[in-house]
Amino acid sequence: MSGVMRGYIQAIDAINFRIGRIVMYGIFVLMGILLWSSISKTFFVPSLWTLEMAQFALVAYYILGGPYSIQLGSNVRMDLLYGEWSPRRKAWFDLITILFLIFYLAVLLYGAVSSTAYSLGYWGTEPFSFFGGLVTGSEEVGRMERSSTAWRPYLWPIKAIMIVGMLMMLLQCISEFLKDVLRLRGEAI
Amino acid sequence: MSYELIATLMFSTMMLMLLTGQRVFGAIGFVAVVAALLLWGDRGGFDIGFAAAMKLMKWYPLLTLPMFIFMGYVLSESKIADDLYRMFHVWMGGLRGGLAIGTIGLMVLISAMNGLSVAGMAIGSTIALPELLKRGYDKRMVTGVIQAGSSLGILVPPSVVLVLYAMIARQPVGQLWLAGVLPGLMMAGLFIAYIAIRCRMNPVLGPVLDAADRDMPRAEKLRLLRAGLLPIVIFAVMMVPFVNGWTSLVESSAIGALAAFVAAVLKGRMTREVFENSVRNTLGITCMFMWIILAALAFGAVFDGLGAVKAIEAVFTERLNLSPWMILVLMQLSFILMGTFLDDTAMLVIVAPLYVPLVGALGFDLIWYGILYTITTQIAYMTPPFGYNLFLMRAMAPPEISIRDIYASITPFVLIMVLALTLVMVFPGIATWLPDYIYNKP
Repeated sequence: MSGVMRGYIQAIDAINFRIGRIVMYGIFVLMGILLWSSISKTFFVPSLWTLEMAQFALVAYYILGGPYSIQLGSNVRMDLLYGEWSPRRKAWFDLITILFLIFYLAVLLYGAVSSTAYSLGYWGTEPFSFFGGLVTGSEEVGRMERSSTAWRPYLWPIKAIMIVGMLMMLLQCISEFLKDVLRLRGEAI
Repeated sequence: MSYELIATLMFSTMMLMLLTGQRVFGAIGFVAVVAALLLWGDRGGFDIGFAAAMKLMKWYPLLTLPMFIFMGYVLSESKIADDLYRMFHVWMGGLRGGLAIGTIGLMVLISAMNGLSVAGMAIGSTIALPELLKRGYDKRMVTGVIQAGSSLGILVPPSVVLVLYAMIARQPVGQLWLAGVLPGLMMAGLFIAYIAIRCRMNPVLGPVLDAADRDMPRAEKLRLLRAGLLPIVIFAVMMVPFVNGWTSLVESSAIGALAAFVAAVLKGRMTREVFENSVRNTLGITCMFMWIILAALAFGAVFDGLGAVKAIEAVFTERLNLSPWMILVLMQLSFILMGTFLDDTAMLVIVAPLYVPLVGALGFDLIWYGILYTITTQIAYMTPPFGYNLFLMRAMAPPEISIRDIYASITPFVLIMVLALTLVMVFPGIATWLPDYIYNKP
C-alpha cells in the first residue's frame, strides 16, 4: 500500500515540478506582451489582442503554477499556533484540514468543467456527460462562447487550461495528504 | 436564520479554519463554497468558486502584481541597492543616528521603485542591518527603522496595495498613487525626526561614524551620488509614460520590471542564481497572492449575495445611532485590531470589500480613505502576533536579534504611524491636495 502511495507521490510531484518549471518563465511572456502593447500603442496602431492575451497569460501562469507553488511551500499559513507545533501534530492537523482544501478545489474544478461545457455550447446541467458525448459522438459542439470585446477571442481554450491547472492542483493536494499519511506512519517518503 | 447571523457564522468559521494552520486560500475558499452550497443549492454553489476565477481574470490592474513582484526580487536578489546604501553611509554617517536616517532615505528610494514592502525588507535586513549593528547602533532601534521604513513600500507609488484597493473601491489608480506621495514623505519625515531626537538625547543609540570609516576623496564621494540616479531613472521610466497617458498602468509596470532587469544585467549582477531565484520566487509569491484573492473573491461574493454590508451599516447608523466620523474611527480601530491577529493578505482582500462600500455610503472621499486604509495596513503589517514584516524580519535578521527585540523595536514606530494616520484623518488635504492639483489643473 505504501508502495502505491509513494509511486503516486513521485509521479504527481514530478509532473507538477516539470509544469511549474516551464510555467515560471511565463513571467517573460507576460512582460513581452505588455511591452509590445506599449510599443505598438506609442508608435503604431494599438493592438486589440494584447490586453486579453495578457489576462489569459496571467491566468495560465498562476493556475498552472499553483501546484509547484505548493511544492515550494509559498502558500502562507497562519502560524500563530501552527508554528509552535511538533512535526507530528502538524501532520495530524494537515491530514484533516487538507480535506477541506481538496473539497474547495473539487468544487472549483466542477465549476470549471461546467463553464467549459457552456463555452462549447452546452447549456444543460450534466457537463460530464456532455464531454462523454463529445467523445462518443452523441453530442455536438454548439455555439461557442466568445469574449465580449473587439478582439472577440473564443473562451474555451483558457477555460480548458484552467481545468488542467485545477485538476493538477487537486492531485498535488492529494499527494500532500499522502505524504502526511506516510509521515504519521513513520515511513520514508 | 438572519443574514447577520449567517455572516457572523461565516466569519468565525473562517477564523477557526485559519487557526488550524491550513493554507490561507484553502480555509477561505472552503468556507465560501460551503456557505454558497448551503445557501443557494448546487447550481449557484458550484458556480460561485469558478465565477471568481473569471472575475479575477478581468481585473486588469492585477497584471501589475507579477511585474512588481518580479521587480522587487530582481532588486533585492541582485543587490544592486548596495551602492545606494554606501551613498547614504558616506554622506550621512557623520551625523548622530545618521546611518539610521540614511536607511529611511534608502527605504524611500526603494519604495519608489517597488510596490511591495518585501524588497525594502530584504534589502534593509541583508545590507543595512549588519552594517548598522557593526557600527554600534542600538539593535532595537535599527530593527524598528528597517521594518517601519520598508512599510513605506506600499504607500509611496507604485503601490500594489493601492492597486488592490483601487479595484475594490473602483477608484482611479493614478489619483490614489499621487495621494500616497505626501503622506508617505510625511511619514518618512516623522521617522527621521524621531530618530534624530532620540539620538540627540542619547547618543549611544546611534554613534557618529569614525572619520576613517567614511573618509575618501571628494571625487569618489561625488561619484557615489550617482548611485542615487538608479532609482530616479527606474522611477522615471515607469511613471513618466504613465502620468502622461502614453501607457497604461499595467504597461508601465512591465516597463519598470524590464528596467530593473536591464539595470541588474548592466551592472553584472544577473548571475544564474539571481535569475533562478527571482523567477522562481516570483511564481511562488504571485501564486500565493492570486489563489488567496481567488478564494477571497468567492467569499466576498457570498457576502454580497447576503447583503451583509447593508445589514452592518444598518446596525451602526440606525441601531447604535453613531455619526459617520465615529463609525470611521471605530472602523480604523477594528481594522488595526484585526490586523494584529489576521493574516495581512487575507485581511486586505476580505476586509476591504466589507469596509469600502460602507465608507462610500457614509459619504467619505474614497481616494482619501484609500490612504487611511493603506496606513492602517502598514500598521497591521508590523504588529504582532501576525505581521508579514515581523515574520520576514525573523527570517532575515542576524541571529543576535531575538523575537523579543523585534517585537519591542516596533512600538515607537507604530505610535508614529498612528500619529500619521490621525494627521491624515484630521487634515484630508495631506492626501487629496496633490491629486487635485495634478488632475484639476486649469
